[in-house]
Amino acid sequence: MGQRKKCVAMLLAGGQGSRLSALTKYLAKPAVPFGGKYRIIDFTLSNCVNSGIETVGVLTQYQPLVLNSYIGIGSAWDLDRNNGGVTVLPPYSESSGVKWYTGTASAIYQNINYLKQYDPEYVLILSGDHIYKMDYSKMLDYHIEKDADVSISVIEVPWEEASRFGIMNTNEDMDIVEFDEKPQFPKSNLASMGIYIFKWSILKEFLEMDERNPDSSNDFGKDIIPLLLDENKKIVAYPFQGYWKDVGTIKSLWEANMDLLKGDSTLNLYDRDWRIYSVNPNQPPQYIAPNAVVEESLVNEGCMIEGEIQHSVVFQGVTVGEGSSIKDSVIMPDARIGKNVKIERAIIAPGMIIEDNAVIRPLKNSEDVILLADEI
Amino acid sequence: MNESMLGIINATYDFSSLQALTQHRSLAALPFGGRYRLVDFMLSNMVNSDIHSVAIFTGHKNRSLMDHLGSGKQWDLDRKRDGLFVFTPNSQGDNEEFGSFNHIARNMDYFLRSKQKYIVITNCHIVAAMNFKPILRRHIEAGADITEVLHDGQSLQTYIMEKDLLLDLFHQYKDKGFHSLIDVVKEQCSTLCSHKYEYDGYVAIIDSIESYYKHSIEVLKPEVWKQLFMTGEPIFTKVKDQPPTRYGKEAKVGNSMIANGSIIEGQTDNSIIFRSVKIGKGSIVRNSIIMQKSQIGENCVLDGVIIDKDVKIEDGTILTGTAGVPYVVEKGTVQGALMNS
Repeated sequence: MGQRKKCVAMLLAGGQGSRLSALTKYLAKPAVPFGGKYRIIDFTLSNCVNSGIETVGVLTQYQPLVLNSYIGIGSAWDLDRNNGGVTVLPPYSESSGVKWYTGTASAIYQNINYLKQYDPEYVLILSGDHIYKMDYSKMLDYHIEKDADVSISVIEVPWEEASRFGIMNTNEDMDIVEFDEKPQFPKSNLASMGIYIFKWSILKEFLEMDERNPDSSNDFGKDIIPLLLDENKKIVAYPFQGYWKDVGTIKSLWEANMDLLKGDSTLNLYDRDWRIYSVNPNQPPQYIAPNAVVEESLVNEGCMIEGEIQHSVVFQGVTVGEGSSIKDSVIMPDARIGKNVKIERAIIAPGMIIEDNAVIRPLKNSEDVILLADEI
Repeated sequence: MNESMLGIINATYDFSSLQALTQHRSLAALPFGGRYRLVDFMLSNMVNSDIHSVAIFTGHKNRSLMDHLGSGKQWDLDRKRDGLFVFTPNSQGDNEEFGSFNHIARNMDYFLRSKQKYIVITNCHIVAAMNFKPILRRHIEAGADITEVLHDGQSLQTYIMEKDLLLDLFHQYKDKGFHSLIDVVKEQCSTLCSHKYEYDGYVAIIDSIESYYKHSIEVLKPEVWKQLFMTGEPIFTKVKDQPPTRYGKEAKVGNSMIANGSIIEGQTDNSIIFRSVKIGKGSIVRNSIIMQKSQIGENCVLDGVIIDKDVKIEDGTILTGTAGVPYVVEKGTVQGALMNS
């Protein structure tokens, strides 16, 4: 039995991220590299620890090898704690058979014993798929102040994009009165960020109720939230302002990386009061050769740059040969770019080897972004 | 064959010629190579040579060194058995020569409790990626009592011997008049068989501002940094959570080593830039070493300078030095445009 906790976070990290195609063939989406040195999950884990939430269950399922070993005992995020800390929670078998996580709600339900041992007052449910910085303790204060059963974090999205999101319709008190999953004609532009705070007693009750329903798809958005609305529970929207991006597609992953290069990026990685932690590889400083050019870019340790880098994000351990030029691109860890290579608007997957004189760029005037990854 | 080794790093050296950089820190903690401290090299060498127990003897100014070493986790020396041991000086031992047998022997228990057969003794102002295993092998083949490591004929004050011999020397030092290993090795006619091992890899000895400057800039030569950092045996250091380095639109960078967390808006050439350094727009940094967290304003010109940690250089400042006499700006100071005209 652990010591009682006020708030425990459950981080859903089992998603495949199939729209990231070959990048997630051997990698769960939360483990996809981002921003020159991070993996997507670093943002959520750093938010937790920076918000004072030090008990985090990470639910993994799809391709967990890299993700599990990356998380380890959580020391990179200062989450190796005597009481609490990070716990990786994979699906497991029991006397009645193996139970895969069939939905977000079933994943939490199957780990109900993990939550019971901390007997928290509140449970924070997160997904490991988004890039953002958020102080969850402020949301928890709001949840307590409103005496809500559930709080859902929402962000204003452009109206024309609202039909791609789960939309929350609220009254003037920010109580959620209706939930529309990807509505054709949205009535509001407040999109759910997939971040929930539940009273633990309510969560337990509704997870059990949902589990008894054989027709349920065991999903928070599709099943649990509508069920709570039917039962007239108090669900409030917590408005979030700031940078938030779902990096679910190659294009959006590329865009989010490019966003970091804007001088006025609202996602400030250099803020010492809200650090983004990650597993730090032990690499020498980057070496920029005499004839190299590096402009408007992020470059990580262990790189050796002999060519030209413009408006790009370059991860650790990358080499770029003489005469090569890289523009508007993301070069993931340990990729080796030969000599006289041209790369434009591309994501080069980890460890790729690009032979001399190769040209990688989308067709002229195309808005596409190329992903170069090993298909084998 | 039992080839286990114990490592001793003598971190008590303090050269008055390095005063400007070591006033507030031990020489072992002197930043080097963009993100390292001098002690990282020998400490990593030991770990890369499968030495799992390392003792560091420090001098008095050890705050920054202790902060850097922590529990030894970064070198994988945070172990239940063996690991990292740091021995700080006794307050009574003021008159005593650091690194002497007397000094080391005060922590005799460490030597008695350790099970390793051999011992490597070195110091912390040598920059090299040196594996001790081939040296030990030669030591055994040569049937030597003490092996001394040399580079270009110069002693690196690095020795390998059996631990039991060192313990004997501790006991005998008074009778024989040996105060330290240097005395023993110098005394050629002693009954001990001492062997010389010539190490032919890259070695830099840091014992003055000039040598610090020279060897720092030398790291920019591909043949040097390949020998230090690309050997397949990494140099470990305390890692920090710094974002990647950001280069601005007008950044111009050539022949430089740059560590993480820096923001480069100006120009750098032939320089070593440590972590979290800012170089403002229109500034030119040439032939210089800028240590961590120093901030260079806009439109500055720095050539041939060493900027210690946490220095602020105000807009429009011009500072120049030469390779022979680099201009040193001390830790935590502010340099304005008008202050140095």
